[in-house]
Amino acid sequence: MKKIRDMTIGELAAFVSTQLSMNGIDCTLTGGACISIYTNNKYESFDLDFIESGQFPQKKTEDILNGIGFYKENRYFKNKQTKYFIEFPSGPLSIGSEPVERYKEMEFETGKLKLLTPTDSVKDRLAAYYHWDDKQSLEQAILVCLDQKINMKEIEKFSADEGMIEKFNVIKRRLLNRK
Amino acid sequence: MLENILGSKNKERVLFYIEARNEGYAREIAKYYRVSLSPIQEQLDKLETGGIFVNKKAGKTIIYSFNPRFAFLKELKVLIEKAISFLPDDEKERLLIVRRRPRKKNKPL
Repeated sequence: MKKIRDMTIGELAAFVSTQLSMNGIDCTLTGGACISIYTNNKYESFDLDFIESGQFPQKKTEDILNGIGFYKENRYFKNKQTKYFIEFPSGPLSIGSEPVERYKEMEFETGKLKLLTPTDSVKDRLAAYYHWDDKQSLEQAILVCLDQKINMKEIEKFSADEGMIEKFNVIKRRLLNRK
Repeated sequence: MLENILGSKNKERVLFYIEARNEGYAREIAKYYRVSLSPIQEQLDKLETGGIFVNKKAGKTIIYSFNPRFAFLKELKVLIEKAISFLPDDEKERLLIVRRRPRKKNKPL
């Protein structure tokens, strides 16, 4: 088994996810780490955001992570062997006001990982751009669109539901120019 | 009013205040309700950790507002708005009316 210090972000996420899953804790990777995985690190995130499906005692999660060398510091779990850190934002796992119903599963040599689909990852980043005008999130969404197969119809519907169809049309034009 | 659901009177105060004024920081909320600062700070922190609030810094002040990406935001706001509508008229007016125009420094009145 690879050492934690040598794991890529995807390998580490899969390792952590598998350790949790073996102990009955089901969780999904979300946020910037998905962007790193889908863009092969063109955008580099150090933050592994896992959302747990269901309610698990915090102590149980903490014990499992302690067992693989992660210690809690404020709301983050850190490990001296790696620059990546883990957080468990409050659920539920949602995009806009809708629950996430489809996931992507990836297999690494360190374990299995459940994460947002590329399309949902784009929606997740666009939500940050739409609500906070965060340009970095927009760039991340575009990188995923360029590297992965995305359901643009779904993104368009999501943007319309968020009242952001004009901003979506700007993004669509930018994508057409870059493809 | 929602204290039994929320489990804390100060959590209710914080939610009412942010709903009425869109944003706020711990000291002004504590001052408004004439309560100590730390329980208000604690509730703001809990709501932020729970993904219901987000915060931004303005100098040394941490300003909180609702997280537009919170999955139940619309439903939560409907509940809080309804609870605010049950407040006595004078309290409701005091909560909802906010001075927006600038005020000269050291002005006596």
